[in-house]
Amino acid sequence: MSSVLVEELGPRGRARVRAVTIVTLVLAAGAIAFVIWKLQSAGQLGWRLWEPFTVGENLKFLLGGLVNTIKAAAVAMVFSIAVGFLFALGRLSRNMVVRGLCVAYVEFFRSIPLLLAIFASFFGLLAVGFDVGPFTSLVIALVAYNSAVLSEIFRAGIKSLDKGQTEAAQAIGMPYWPMMRIVILPQAVRRMIPAIVAQLATLSKDVSLGFVISYVEVVSKGTGFSNFSAAGNLQSYVVVGVIYFILVYLLAKLANYLDERQTKSPVTAAIVEGGDPDAANIDTEIDLA
Amino acid sequence: MIEFYTDNAQRFIDGTLVTVRLALLSFALSVVIGVVIASCRVSPVGPLQRFASGYVSLFRNLPLLIIFFLALFGLGDLGFVYGGFATAAVALGMYTGAYMAEVIRSGINSVSSGQAEAGRAIGLGFIALLSTIVIPQAVRTVIAPIGNLFIANFKNTAVALTITVTDLTFVSRQLINQTAETWLSLFGAAAIYTVILLFVGWGFRALEARYAIKR
Repeated sequence: MSSVLVEELGPRGRARVRAVTIVTLVLAAGAIAFVIWKLQSAGQLGWRLWEPFTVGENLKFLLGGLVNTIKAAAVAMVFSIAVGFLFALGRLSRNMVVRGLCVAYVEFFRSIPLLLAIFASFFGLLAVGFDVGPFTSLVIALVAYNSAVLSEIFRAGIKSLDKGQTEAAQAIGMPYWPMMRIVILPQAVRRMIPAIVAQLATLSKDVSLGFVISYVEVVSKGTGFSNFSAAGNLQSYVVVGVIYFILVYLLAKLANYLDERQTKSPVTAAIVEGGDPDAANIDTEIDLA
Repeated sequence: MIEFYTDNAQRFIDGTLVTVRLALLSFALSVVIGVVIASCRVSPVGPLQRFASGYVSLFRNLPLLIIFFLALFGLGDLGFVYGGFATAAVALGMYTGAYMAEVIRSGINSVSSGQAEAGRAIGLGFIALLSTIVIPQAVRTVIAPIGNLFIANFKNTAVALTITVTDLTFVSRQLINQTAETWLSLFGAAAIYTVILLFVGWGFRALEARYAIKR
């Protein structure tokens, strides 16, 4: 058992677990039957409605949206990493003004909805005369938003290193930038990679919001389906959901794998042990924004 | 500039109220779902564990927008027809509930196993053990992540505008169209979000300072 709550069960406990298991299975079967019955009587399960998704041309149309989704996510991620890194350094800077500005930036973008940021970079830029189109707008909003999140990850990664690393570098007279480049970053980046991949998963989910400024990604392709084929809205979004699920699931799995490999590796374990215990564990799981 | 805000104050207030109501309702729902799913996940019953981890995996790997659309087009057929706001509250609650379950589970796992053993030693059953020993301690360790979830949930209410909920972001979007004061409309909404979430952040930090267990 993975949990602290359950110890090895005795015969009565096992019997009880078996009884609950059977009850659960019966209830689950009932629930599934209910859903199928309701959807069937609403006519949502008719083959005619699903058939368009077996046509190669249609799938190609949908996957074209997926390519746009991945494109926006990848471009946004690259810029987010660069910008987020600058803000992380800014927050760790000794200059109070720089630090204050960076804190304000991060806090501001962590407290407004992404959708508002997307509207700002689309309609706001349009209002001051920059017609950059939905792709660029979406990427700008995603970068502004995710760089704030990433800068926190970077900061935690840098702070999680043992203080001795910085002190040793300073003791041998290294200036700031070489110290960062040679000593701090190679260690910090290695430790942050799982968190960065996890953030990439979140980011690719967020690309779906490009829908509201009519960026043509998977969701808006799916929306078009009910117009030109027999497929209904529910069917389209189920298929889009499956596509999205696979994409995000794979990224999340990759992040988990990298994370586990890292915690298992004796080298990192030793480094983490010596570092700041609060910062060492960069929690990538909880941030859903 | 001041005029813009005095003229449209009522609309901003209405939008804010919708956002706050949606945030509170969906968050309350997410707590209920989170507790149920987390309990299933730590229970010794195989199918319940699998159901719980399936639920978490499903809702965490789908974009919120898709969940809203599926709820909009699917829940009606299951006999759930209550308009945009209720649909949004349920969909958002289910989405945040998956994250809540993970937070609660990590909290439960953070309670030292000696606590559970001591509880069993004095003869507590699984439910009693969970409700009187483990959860009260787990809650204290997860105040900070729950605060983050509350804030994320609050921001995610904005996505509900895609299914006709007239929340604060929707009001801002509408004012852009109607008044052409793009930046003033955006800034008004952003300021309201920032101020509310600043106070929420303070509130949770105060709770944490008061109740959290330092380990």
